[in-house]
Amino acid sequence: MDPRAEFTNHLTRRTFLGQTARGVGGLALGTMLMPELLGARQAGGGRVAGLPGLPHFAPKAKRVLCLFQSGGLSHVDLFDHKPMLKQMAGKDLPPSVKGTQRLTGMTSGQGSYPCTPALKDGKLCGKNGLWISDLLPHLQTVADELCFIKSLHTEAINHDPAITFMNTGNQQPGYASMGAWASYGLGTENANLPAFVAMVSQGTGKNPGQPVFSRLWGSGFLPSSHQGVGLRPGANPVLYLQNPPTVDGEQRRALLDDLAALNEERAKEIGDPETVTRVKAYEMAFRMQTSVPELTDISQESRETLAAYGPEVTRPGSYAANCLLARRLLERDVRFVQLFHRGWDQHIALSRQLPNQCRDIDQPTAALIKDLKARGMLEDTLVVFATEFGRTAFSQGGFGNPGAGRDHHGRSFTVWLAGGGVKAGYEHGATDEFGYNIAKDPAHLRDLHATILHCLGIDHERFTFKFRGLNVKLTGVEEAHVIKGVLS
Amino acid sequence: MLSPMLSALRPLAFLALPLSVLAAEEVRYNRDIRPILSENCFSCHGPDDKARKAKLRLDLFAEATKEYKTGTPIVPGDLKKSEVWTRITSDDEDDVMPPPKSHLKLSAADKAKVKAWLEQGAKYEAHWAFLPPRRPALPADLKGSPIDALVDQGLRASGLKANPEADRATLLRRLSLDLTGLAPSAEELEAFLQDRSAGAYEKQVDRLLASPHFGERMALDWLDAARYADTNGFSIDGGRHLWLWRDWVIQAFNDNKPYDRFLLEQLAGDLLPNATDAQLIATGFQRNNMNTHEGGTIPAENLLNYNADRVKTLGESVLGLTLACAQCHDHKFDPISQKDYYQVFAYFNTLGDAGLDGNGGNNSGPAVSKKTVLRTDEEGKLTARIAALRQTLATRDDAVLAAWVKEQRAWLADRTKGTRLHPINLTKISTPNSGGGFTVEGNTFKGLGGAAYDLLGELPQTTEPIIALRLVFQAKMTPGGKPAPKKGAAKDAKPEPATPPAPSAYQVSAVDVTVDKVPGDQVNIHKLQKFSRVTASSFDPAHPPGNVRAMNQRLAWQPDMKAPGDQSLTLTFAKPLSATETPAITTQVYFGTGRPPLQGQLFAVTGHDDGTDLPPDIIAAVQTADDRRTPEQTNLLWAYVAKYGEALRRVRVDLANAEERLATLTQPQSTMVMNIAAKPRETFILHRGDYSQPTTKVGPGTPAALPPLPVGAPANRLGLAQWIVMKENPLTARVAVNRLWKTLFGTGLVASAADFGLQGEWPSHPELLDWLAVEFVESGWDIKRLTRTIVTSATYKRSSTATAEMLAQDPANRRLARGARFRLPAELIRDNALRASGLLVPQLGGPSVNPYSPFDLWREVSHYGSTPATAQNFVQDHGDKLYRRSLYTYWKRTAPPANMMAFDAPNREVCTVTRGNTTTPLQALVTLNDVQFAEAARVLAARTLGRPGDDEARLRWAFREVVSRDPSDRELAVARRTLARERQRYAAEPARATAALQVGEAPDAPLPAPEQAAWMQVGVLLLNLSETVTRN
Repeated sequence: MDPRAEFTNHLTRRTFLGQTARGVGGLALGTMLMPELLGARQAGGGRVAGLPGLPHFAPKAKRVLCLFQSGGLSHVDLFDHKPMLKQMAGKDLPPSVKGTQRLTGMTSGQGSYPCTPALKDGKLCGKNGLWISDLLPHLQTVADELCFIKSLHTEAINHDPAITFMNTGNQQPGYASMGAWASYGLGTENANLPAFVAMVSQGTGKNPGQPVFSRLWGSGFLPSSHQGVGLRPGANPVLYLQNPPTVDGEQRRALLDDLAALNEERAKEIGDPETVTRVKAYEMAFRMQTSVPELTDISQESRETLAAYGPEVTRPGSYAANCLLARRLLERDVRFVQLFHRGWDQHIALSRQLPNQCRDIDQPTAALIKDLKARGMLEDTLVVFATEFGRTAFSQGGFGNPGAGRDHHGRSFTVWLAGGGVKAGYEHGATDEFGYNIAKDPAHLRDLHATILHCLGIDHERFTFKFRGLNVKLTGVEEAHVIKGVLS
Repeated sequence: MLSPMLSALRPLAFLALPLSVLAAEEVRYNRDIRPILSENCFSCHGPDDKARKAKLRLDLFAEATKEYKTGTPIVPGDLKKSEVWTRITSDDEDDVMPPPKSHLKLSAADKAKVKAWLEQGAKYEAHWAFLPPRRPALPADLKGSPIDALVDQGLRASGLKANPEADRATLLRRLSLDLTGLAPSAEELEAFLQDRSAGAYEKQVDRLLASPHFGERMALDWLDAARYADTNGFSIDGGRHLWLWRDWVIQAFNDNKPYDRFLLEQLAGDLLPNATDAQLIATGFQRNNMNTHEGGTIPAENLLNYNADRVKTLGESVLGLTLACAQCHDHKFDPISQKDYYQVFAYFNTLGDAGLDGNGGNNSGPAVSKKTVLRTDEEGKLTARIAALRQTLATRDDAVLAAWVKEQRAWLADRTKGTRLHPINLTKISTPNSGGGFTVEGNTFKGLGGAAYDLLGELPQTTEPIIALRLVFQAKMTPGGKPAPKKGAAKDAKPEPATPPAPSAYQVSAVDVTVDKVPGDQVNIHKLQKFSRVTASSFDPAHPPGNVRAMNQRLAWQPDMKAPGDQSLTLTFAKPLSATETPAITTQVYFGTGRPPLQGQLFAVTGHDDGTDLPPDIIAAVQTADDRRTPEQTNLLWAYVAKYGEALRRVRVDLANAEERLATLTQPQSTMVMNIAAKPRETFILHRGDYSQPTTKVGPGTPAALPPLPVGAPANRLGLAQWIVMKENPLTARVAVNRLWKTLFGTGLVASAADFGLQGEWPSHPELLDWLAVEFVESGWDIKRLTRTIVTSATYKRSSTATAEMLAQDPANRRLARGARFRLPAELIRDNALRASGLLVPQLGGPSVNPYSPFDLWREVSHYGSTPATAQNFVQDHGDKLYRRSLYTYWKRTAPPANMMAFDAPNREVCTVTRGNTTTPLQALVTLNDVQFAEAARVLAARTLGRPGDDEARLRWAFREVVSRDPSDRELAVARRTLARERQRYAAEPARATAALQVGEAPDAPLPAPEQAAWMQVGVLLLNLSETVTRN
């Protein structure tokens, strides 16, 4: 690459959302250096190019929706049906199954490890008979869209390292989140909104749930312009979006014009492309003040749509409300939308907490899948329903005790995918008859990362960022493989 | 196609590239070849013997020139016989190197360099950064600074022309920002411009180096590297106290502590003979790592992570080595074996820390209680201020008292009017961390045992507005376990027969309420109701009902346990509720560190609240006619108003802040330190870095490829520290001077400031780096002297103005033909808005503070209500604490201050040596809309209006104050246009002007609102100039 173009590209890409055709980012410098760049980068509307050479191949999915169930969703109760647990209910998990691998400090001292069947029965759903708990009746109706990976595993057994691993590819802090990678690699099709949006909701099964951290949607070593931007209810859906008291759009517009006049005058005088970039950033901020409220205003949604997402959709900040916002974000071509729903950490009182957690997410999740499908968006949106680990087949606390729950379980758990790039109504991998160890087609969460990138048209091995002397990858330093079995 | 003008520039552009090489020039291994081999070859043919392919290594000359079965990789001077050349130019997929699978590829330019190098004899050089820095040859006729001579050599070679010196105003702004983080005031600028003496600039250098803010500016970069924060980081991320260490760093820079001592004391202060308190505090450096008390985590795994972070931080911040890369295997690029790694690890592994620690706002051990090392001259002033504020509170203000009494009388007169209690139909109770025992029976909740509960209910269908929520608690139980029978009026109460054990006091520390159309099991943190008053049926004088509004688990309401009957707490809503619009009500009751009552009920209140937050004697005094009040009653009333009255709130805030400040300076405070455990842990090489797979036991030691430990160095951290600061260590001084260069120029001479290893970048000016390093060590590691040397060079003082031609030739200014220009770090952007407005409170050090936040970002992610850990919900500070410099803003790692994060501040979870520098719309939103900045614009307006002169004089002053220069005529015209437009706007709408000024807690200026509001917009304009956030 021409060194000037390379430098311009570098400058450009560290601005929020990169450059647009109209000159955000280092394009200002580009035009000072290479007027022809202006033509080369006319890429239409509010498009922001990603890294040169990306995607590596034709993507099946243009965007990602990650529905992250924070705290450790119980695969044995909800997706991975094991009749053996019923047969053996209350009896100790056989030592041959339990093995010698480590447990958390919460159960490692337990005197017994009684097998505990799923809290509720379930059904084989859809054409291919995917078992889904009756705690998730709405989700049962979209089974034909889902692609279960029942053999996922992770080394982490505690929340902080596990959730950090799932979201950033490393158990230790300091790495870039999945959405930040996607923004970095692929840019966005809509420069009026952030490329990566994150939303947090509180679970009603367990509140507060295990804490979450801004690093889970952070940019790590990538430029901070790729960090997930939080979207919240209230006057400031994006922090600081609202003008100070009494300042309206007309007044602000006039001020920004004066500001641009001063800035441009000075930039010319001292030869400062950064100032030109900043003028553009102010213009984008001004546009966001319109585009974000328009995005969060659901008053034009039909009664049917609202009803489909369930009663909680009108409750700001709820998982249901966030699901509807997610659809609206995806419609506007936001590259990566991630919901974090807290409260899935059922160490105790699973029988009381789990139904609530399920109720939070069941109807909205199913409605969102159907909504995306009905709008023709499911085919090029990859949906990732994930959690940081599963839960143990044995109970934490006495068997049958209403206060009992299940401990963390990283050796095997279930996540599901749907939409662009993956098989529909499909199950990949399997656990043993206790849901404890993997019996078939193990998939590490690195493999899941590789698969997500693959659906976006990215070869995870070639998608790197040079940091501290290493070409760092989302999939880390150990081998990772695309889970080919799930690809459509 | 390139335009003709640009085509003409093209060769120059190539010339300017740091790594570009002219064919005629000698190819140098370190500069030109090593980066190519390291990037493309060494991961399989380098130092890591487990990863090595074909038993071949190319990083050593002897190995690379050996004959192998397939040929000799490198035959110096003979391209054709060199297998390396054959391989890298092969078209055969099986033969070509690097193999296609690696996704690595040599560019044509890379190949050309390798070709030239092989032809020129394939000379290897030891890695430059591992060789001791040498004083470079300087021109015999050296005039001026050696820095300039060494920079100008490079400029001449690349055909670039140096810019002239920047104008004096720019110079002072640059210097002030770089040395103190604060731009000069208009007055300071004026004084400098008036000083035409020969050493005027040098005088400013000395003034700024002597400023206490020098330490703050220098500390900022070190705090990033040291990952300083106010919370533990992992999981629940509770609060900790390590600011004594932060203040030690500031004081050390201000004292110009030699850098070798600076490091020695931080790494091993506790091991120095007769270690002082200050030296012990200094060791907090390696306690800044994150830690956890997440239940169920495995202590050994946590301890490994803590210590690994210490090694990583030491490597990146002090040595410029990516030591962390050798935790799981030998380093892929640098000569650091896994054994080397665990030997360094062993130095820190002797710490007596625990795997799970630091809950409840208590520091994880080892911790000590010590006095701050900060030296300020505030004590006397503070004592006087405290006395004055106390005097203000003690001095009765009859007007204030009369107004307060009047208000209370009105309130008391209404108090019992039409009070009606409507039971709330409770449907559910939940709590996160208890298995059971609690329940709802009828409308009563019972069986409480945990810290916080959420109660879901239905509002009674009354058409009257619901003005308050009442929580009624029953604490007393009969021996049979049933609540005591209801009592009548208080005077009828008689002692229970066969009294059960006296109930222990229960407390309520917070209540949150949300109402909605649909029921919700938990309160919605996005829609919490605001309260105008909190009262109770009775209260213990030390625990008044108003405490529940403090949102602090250590502050609570407690009923008077001697009061008969049920006790209640009533929260009056700022806006009454409508049962028809929002029938569902969720109430979260947080019992804090106290214990909950046995059971209770909720009621909706209509009419008036009949509870009180006033003690009985105060009520009696209020209700006594003014002329019949005894002097004792009047004194009692004033004492109450002084303690609780809104009119004196600001005085109380100021007093509390001043008292805290005095305590900060004079009282011992807890801080985390290093020690050596009574039984230190042993260190093993861990297979794949896994705590559960120890292999060979190792003792402390330093990497074999670097010079050995000094003779007699003890086998502990002190020995390590002595090795780090010995003058034979090739890295320490280079890394330090490079960090300072980065602070002053935006980019280091080595751009990869944390990595001086084989993958690091070749220095833009290797001789200059060495010269600085040698000078630094020989001067006795004198930081201020080094700073002075750099900032008085012509290179530093150059104008940053760039022409298109210059931008084309050297876009990143690596050749330093022009002065540096970069956006200010996050903290300085806020600091300078505060400075310009006059709001800045230039106090040094102390506990971190919580200025404005747009939302409770902590509670959104935290374990609020379920943990004794602190820092789970955000409580904003007031008074001076809103206007402290940003390096004192409380840094919660899992939810750092949003206005700082927008400007690339790191989250301080891990060592950060180089911050990003982005330009984003979110930044524009911060400086336009954040209360902190809007308020600064408001107060800047008032300050500007306080200046003498006409509009033009004031505009000129404001420009100078904000961007340190006079406006041009055209700029002045634009600002006048803004002012005229806004004047017109607010003159037409004075009410709007008044409302526009309602931002922030700084007192209103007694100025006409429309004029002030118009100037406030001018303030917004100036605070948002690109130049304002830029150091030119």
